[in-house]
Amino acid sequence: MTGRGGIEPFVFSHTPEWRTPFALKRIMKTYLRNTFQLVSCAFGALACQGDASDRNDPDSASATSAAGGTMVTTVGADADFLLPPFVATVQGNQIADIVYERLAEPSPALNTVGDDGFTAELAEKWTWSADSLSIAFSVHPRARWHDGRPVTARDVAFTYDLTTDPATASGDAPLLSQIDSVTVRDSMTAVFWYGKRYPEQFFDAAYQMRILPEHILSGVKRSELRTAELIRKPVGSGRFRFVRWVPGSLVELVADTTHHKGRPKLDRLIWTISPDYNASAAKLFAGDADFIEYLTGDKITEIAKYPRLRTLSSPSLDHVYLHFNLRDPKNPARPHPVFGDVGVRRALAMAVDRASAVQNVFDSLGLLSKGPMVRAQSLADTTIPPIPFNLDGARRLLDSLGWTDANNDGVREKNGKPLAFTIGAPSSSTNRMRMAVLLQGMFKEVGAQVTLKNEEMTTWIQGMQSGKFDAAMNASHLDPSPVASTRQTWSAASARNPAGRNFGRYANPRFDALIDSASVQMNPANARRFYRQAHETIMNDVPAIWLYELVSVAGIDRRIEPVGIRADAWWAEIGDWSIRADQRIARDSIGLRPVAR
Amino acid sequence: MRRFIARRLLASVAIVFLAATFTFILIHLAPGDPFSAAAENSRITPEIQAQWRAAYALDRPLPEQYFRYIANTAKGDFGYSFSQHRSVGAALADAIPNTLLLMGVALIASFAIGIVLGALQARARGTALDRTLGGVSLFFYSMPDFWVALVMLLIFSVWLGLLPSGGMTDPLMYDYWGFGRRMQDRALHLVLPVASFTLLVSAAVARYQRSAMLDMADQDFVRTARAKGATERRVVVKHILRNALLPIITLLGLAFPLLLGGSVFIERIFSWPGMGRLAADAILTRDYPLVMAVVIIGSVLVSAGNLLADVLYAFADPRLRRS
Repeated sequence: MTGRGGIEPFVFSHTPEWRTPFALKRIMKTYLRNTFQLVSCAFGALACQGDASDRNDPDSASATSAAGGTMVTTVGADADFLLPPFVATVQGNQIADIVYERLAEPSPALNTVGDDGFTAELAEKWTWSADSLSIAFSVHPRARWHDGRPVTARDVAFTYDLTTDPATASGDAPLLSQIDSVTVRDSMTAVFWYGKRYPEQFFDAAYQMRILPEHILSGVKRSELRTAELIRKPVGSGRFRFVRWVPGSLVELVADTTHHKGRPKLDRLIWTISPDYNASAAKLFAGDADFIEYLTGDKITEIAKYPRLRTLSSPSLDHVYLHFNLRDPKNPARPHPVFGDVGVRRALAMAVDRASAVQNVFDSLGLLSKGPMVRAQSLADTTIPPIPFNLDGARRLLDSLGWTDANNDGVREKNGKPLAFTIGAPSSSTNRMRMAVLLQGMFKEVGAQVTLKNEEMTTWIQGMQSGKFDAAMNASHLDPSPVASTRQTWSAASARNPAGRNFGRYANPRFDALIDSASVQMNPANARRFYRQAHETIMNDVPAIWLYELVSVAGIDRRIEPVGIRADAWWAEIGDWSIRADQRIARDSIGLRPVAR
Repeated sequence: MRRFIARRLLASVAIVFLAATFTFILIHLAPGDPFSAAAENSRITPEIQAQWRAAYALDRPLPEQYFRYIANTAKGDFGYSFSQHRSVGAALADAIPNTLLLMGVALIASFAIGIVLGALQARARGTALDRTLGGVSLFFYSMPDFWVALVMLLIFSVWLGLLPSGGMTDPLMYDYWGFGRRMQDRALHLVLPVASFTLLVSAAVARYQRSAMLDMADQDFVRTARAKGATERRVVVKHILRNALLPIITLLGLAFPLLLGGSVFIERIFSWPGMGRLAADAILTRDYPLVMAVVIIGSVLVSAGNLLADVLYAFADPRLRRS
């Protein structure tokens, strides 16, 4: 409908859409925009005559073919790295996942036991050894790096070596700790070796590594790789190739038309960065972006005003809980004066009407949490009953524990000490702050005095790490595999580590033993049984009140046709997302044409 | 005058050094460090975090870190930015021109419009025009900058669709356009952030200008000029306006650091990759080297702004020049 670089023509659409109020609004918008541009040109400062080439269709072949189009995603922050072993942010992961490839990808069910549900990606096929202590992956014979060099088994072995090398200091290294080695059987076959059999052998090899090009990265000293300039221009083997990264502004990828899985259906992917959430959403509403990965409740209501847009919801791996500190913040050798008693923790859990709190904060965009795992994890058992909401029961329990309101000031005391504590929340999370306010009111009902403390994120994390907190609105983004994240957040070993993520210092040997047992079950049903027992144990110990899981609601332009949304990565199948030829707009017409920069 | 400038320059060096030292201590006293936020990521183990700290010498005693920093800075090496994952020099080299463009245009527009509005109000003192302009400027002056920016974005970008919603250029088409269309695109992307900033700052300038002109209008030399038969235009422009520029020069000196410091809210809301955003992100992520570099640049500019204001005073007021 529009020529590249020209002013959008003021024409009526031949579709019936123009008769709708929305179409009239759009026409008015086009008219206003054209008028404004004409006026701005007339002022002379803007040399509006442009180039004749501006008005030529840049890639008419692309515009009419089945594949084509540009998808612009608006995100709140820049990527940190684009090289997988160093990536820690969501944005970095999105781009690294698309530019690089895993050997195999899990299905949306996110099974992590064995290879059930996995589909081949960079690997064409794999073979388990008879004793299951090795898996041989055959690299796809047509796989190529984006610079044209073939991908080989040496690249696979190199990736493992680089990621696990202590000099690299990759956050992914612990995830590969159960793999003994990776060897090269022949130029196209890499073999993963294990010292013992365990359920997630395949998951670790296939999911935890994105394969890197040896010929590019081998020349850099591992200890200097994090700061090397070349890792800012990644050369991968994924369905989109890297074009440019303008820090703080955008990242651009373009389709690899020679990819062994076939040409992506979109030509180009762009991430634009808007640090302010409202401004980011405004980009979607104004038509400057096609996709935003997270919409808050008010923006979901607003999106209904734009017939061009729709929402796209998916499960997520994020959950939020009130994390109790079980040790005294002033002297960690002693139990916490309030939360050291499991009875008090239980009573407080009984005082929380989670259903109404979640409904209040999220309406239908939050799900009641089921415990330390989330629904999207394939081994999660969602049938464990939580501690029920029972105000009278909570009061009676506190009475029986000796916490009574002797002076009738509304706050219970025991041995002269009030039932008072602080709940901390990061000031960057409106939802967590709102939830903390509701909890404050609910705890007041049972005679507990809560002070809210909203802190800037780094300060808040530092407070938790140093154990100087009473209770915190903590959040976790979990892995599809429950093993690592469960151990890091709740195991005794993590509690003993001063820098561990078990900030509340919860420790129960029975829980640890059950998690250990679950992690070696080769049969998913058996693993689920052990996880259930472990979760019943921890939920009885109440080291936290698990509050809610987020439902991820994205905003998307209707012209984009998404497929295969996965809880851990909405972008997993982005190579198959498409824009119908009759739905394309000006920016879709660029095609694959490179630009001289 | 030369001796005066030399003395001020020496004092500026001391100010910059003190500001850098003070900031170094303050930022290290703040809770957390550049790798604390990694604790939110379940994949990053404490051991890996410790390794990162060691790699950047953050595990060394604070005095050692300080002397290393000062020594490197003296050689022109601002270090490595933990949040940008590249050298601080590269990060600044990208951000400074962007902020210069935005704030340069915005400051020129703000002062030009503010001075004209203030002069108009002073001339029309007590009239409906004066009251209307005063009310409007007070309204914008009292508005929070982020609110004004968001409302502008909502009206002109989302509702009317007249202007782009953010960024410096169109993220995709810009590189495919010819020179003329590119210039137009850049100008269009400048309109909303510049207009938001100008609305706020020009309101303040106008109020200062009006007040200064009214003060001058009652001075003896103005009466003398009129008595000598000077035209009203000459009295206003040559005698009142010129002398009323002194407080505006002070204001300009104070605003000068914005040229490189940028405006955090305007840059955040309009996704402008400038120094304001860079500084805010650096503080939030405890990016010590970047915070230090921004502070050093800021203190250099504050010193330069004050020096510039003093020099401009001398040009504007012959009495100061003679003294």
